[in-house]
Amino acid sequence: MPIRILSPEVVVRIAAGEVIERPASVVKELLENAIDAGASEIAIEIAQGGRRLVRVSDNGCGIPANEVELAFARHATSKLRSAEDLYRIQTLGFRGEALASIAAVSRVTLSTRAVGEEAGTLIRLEGGRILHREGQGRPPGTTVAVENLFFNTPARLKFLRSDTTEAGQVARLVSSYALIYAEKRLSLESNGRLVLRTLGTGSLYDVLVTLYGLDIAEQLIEIPPFTEEGITVSGQISAPSLHRANRRDILLFVNRRWIQDTSLSYAIGEAYRTLLPQGRHPLVVLSLTLPPEDVDVNIHPTKQEVRFRRQREVFTVVQRAVRTALMRQYPVPVAQIPGPSAASRLRAGQDWRALFAQAPLPVNPEEVGHRVPLEAPLRAEEPQPSGRLPMLRVVGQIAQTYIVAEGPGGMYLIDQHAAHERIRYEELRAQRAGQGVASQELLDPVAIELAPQQAVLLEANLQALLAYGFEIIPFGGNTFLVKRVPAGLAPGDVSTALGEMLEAALEGKEGFSWEDQALITLSCHTAVRAGKALSPEEMRDLVRQLERTALPHTCPHGRPTLVHFSQAQLERQFDRR
Amino acid sequence: MKLSCLQENLAKGLSIVGRAVATRSTLPVLSNILLATDESRLKLSATNLEISVNCWVGANVTEEGAITVPARLLTDFVNSLPPERIDLSLIARTQTLNLRCGRYEANIKGIDAQEFPIILVPEEDKASQFATADLAKMIDRVVFAAATDESRPVLTGVHTELTPQGVTFAAADSYRLSVVSSPIPKAPAERISIIIPARALQELRRISGEAESVTMLVSSARNQVFFRMPEVELISQLVEGTFPDYRQIIPTTYNTRMVATTADLLQALRMAAIFARDAANIVRLQILPNEGGMGRLIVSATSAEHGDNVSELDVTVEGQPIEIAFNVRYLLDALEVIDTAQVALETRDPTSPGVIKPVGGQDFVHIIMPMHIAR
Repeated sequence: MPIRILSPEVVVRIAAGEVIERPASVVKELLENAIDAGASEIAIEIAQGGRRLVRVSDNGCGIPANEVELAFARHATSKLRSAEDLYRIQTLGFRGEALASIAAVSRVTLSTRAVGEEAGTLIRLEGGRILHREGQGRPPGTTVAVENLFFNTPARLKFLRSDTTEAGQVARLVSSYALIYAEKRLSLESNGRLVLRTLGTGSLYDVLVTLYGLDIAEQLIEIPPFTEEGITVSGQISAPSLHRANRRDILLFVNRRWIQDTSLSYAIGEAYRTLLPQGRHPLVVLSLTLPPEDVDVNIHPTKQEVRFRRQREVFTVVQRAVRTALMRQYPVPVAQIPGPSAASRLRAGQDWRALFAQAPLPVNPEEVGHRVPLEAPLRAEEPQPSGRLPMLRVVGQIAQTYIVAEGPGGMYLIDQHAAHERIRYEELRAQRAGQGVASQELLDPVAIELAPQQAVLLEANLQALLAYGFEIIPFGGNTFLVKRVPAGLAPGDVSTALGEMLEAALEGKEGFSWEDQALITLSCHTAVRAGKALSPEEMRDLVRQLERTALPHTCPHGRPTLVHFSQAQLERQFDRR
Repeated sequence: MKLSCLQENLAKGLSIVGRAVATRSTLPVLSNILLATDESRLKLSATNLEISVNCWVGANVTEEGAITVPARLLTDFVNSLPPERIDLSLIARTQTLNLRCGRYEANIKGIDAQEFPIILVPEEDKASQFATADLAKMIDRVVFAAATDESRPVLTGVHTELTPQGVTFAAADSYRLSVVSSPIPKAPAERISIIIPARALQELRRISGEAESVTMLVSSARNQVFFRMPEVELISQLVEGTFPDYRQIIPTTYNTRMVATTADLLQALRMAAIFARDAANIVRLQILPNEGGMGRLIVSATSAEHGDNVSELDVTVEGQPIEIAFNVRYLLDALEVIDTAQVALETRDPTSPGVIKPVGGQDFVHIIMPMHIAR
């Protein structure tokens, strides 16, 4: 077969395939154009998941009448002038491909009026060819309607998912932009039904309330702008009591551009280490600001991935910002007492928007957690938003498992095992990093027998285990003699603890290295058990030690160590108010 | 049942049986004390099915009978009565015990005595006899070393071996071993080897106070041990199983032997314990020989977070210099039960057991396994 140069029509469609994969891609391109146009109000409509119609209207700067046709030409853009600009990109778009690509695979109607021009323009294209053009009266701004997407590329059409899935993708995309462009009023309608609308107040928290509801927004921790190495990180992250089964709610923005980055997701996971149950992920909205020349967004046509010039620094700063916020502001989880909470009352009424328009908030400060408006006087009993525990007075023990304590904000229940586990974990980690883990020689070696697979693994790790205080020698076959154990490990627990450590190593649990697992297992087995009666001194000591830990609120497995019952909650339960 | 006795005697009897009362039992009668007339005495009994204690109190019995009443209630009431005569009578119809002392009166509802478990007394064949003071001392030297965690039940007991020459008690958890031997006034003709729960021996130690001697019997089925003192009896179930062969663990040689003044060493260790508290209780002993058998012992403890402490003692040293680490709690436990002026510590190397012996006479050996800092 002879080599031929492809016809422009084919080239356009191939290129379009890179940028426009599905209706959500159309929305993304148009939405970014609207944002780049400086719009303060953007309305998005879709029908049949965007397959039949995607319409984006904005009140931005518009396109001058004489440039309308040019806008649909390939590599035509107003956002970039020279090659140097490419290294200092300030706008979302710059490739000049979006409109051309969209137009190549759909029927597009664009109506626009530039600020300062008297009349607007309406232009209609199909498969990239201009069918019609006329003058039109309209307010400044641009409206782009994209109909019958992929009408001329049946293969693409076949790969689209159900309307609901595609609409979901669009909603997720619009939500992301709503979060990072909180000052813009965004609305999304699907098949004529309002899906979301933001108020454009400029507050990320307000958008989060709109998107996730008050219940969830209450459990978020704010990351105040954190700057290091010229990189600024800010946003909202979930308290460890709130977690999700997947990473879908980790939303990352770099210079107000929504991106996917596995390495940064990992950095966030690291920051949450030991705070979340295994296999769970936080809810994170994180915005990174760094000099444009330090980010290369020109990697992929959809700009979903970026490259950082100083990858390692970015990783470290993100991790540190999240960790610091968690340590400083992690609130004690508040006990959930069934009853009409403010959030559920609001949801039932569906008129929260009206409530939010007022200030201060007409709900009890306790129920909104740490998001108390500053104008509202802080009550004495209000738990301070701080990662440190308040001073606790031990009252007693119940079920030989929980310590009851009184603090300035009401009653606290402490799980003695989980609390001690946290203490032991931090102790062991410090020992591991410092002088080493203390171990105790056994009077009489304990013989343990393992499954063949575990035996092989143990044999290979005997040296590594020495650093954790285990001295184990092979005793023929799958039997081993334990001669020395970490201090505090009950001899009866030796084989269980070793078994668990090996099990974890075999499974290679995600996010947990063998070393971490070893420390967690050890802290679990050397911690005081549930069901053990504690003397008042022991309880006081435990609470005091817990207060000294860096992250007192969860055990290394991610379970909470303490629950808080506020004074107000107790009073409500007893109908005192 | 109708009798009278003195408040002091009844209060004392109740305190003797009181510890054997079951605290958390599903069988309500086990939290009661059995009161029964026994000729001209009042017999008090309590049991938690593992340990049972009987105690006899002098009384003036006018009508025979028996009843069980809640231990706490009876004890607290009797303890708050004035030291005078108490009249007790059972109202059989309602199973209520009426107590009257001067102008104070109480009625306590009881449970039928028939429901109280019968405590079997073994036949008197293999009796041995102890002097109470010696027995108490021996118990003190071993019980603390017994394991408190139930993962190896035999280690919660004290291995007791009776031979015609005397008795040997041994107790161990996974990290230390205590062995004490002594001749006894009356030993059995043949060798008996049993494991007595450490708790039973502790209780025996507590209630044997006034008696001059204690007679010990082992049931022929080897499942119960029976201690008899005048007016008091303690019966305990035995721990089943095989005690580890501890004799092979006791080292016979050493490379370093140090002798220190017990009181000085105790003081240095108590100080170190304060600093070791946050550091897995690790205390380091540095034994440095000088000329002429003299030497120095440096006791140190370091808390990474809080600081450190060092004490120096003059000691006599034989052999090599050595640095060895121990759990300071274990060292203190052992030294606190040594009553000789001097104490010896022998060891081979930093990973070998430390052997603690009183200097002068007594047959007591305590072994502690060393600790390490894994790097």
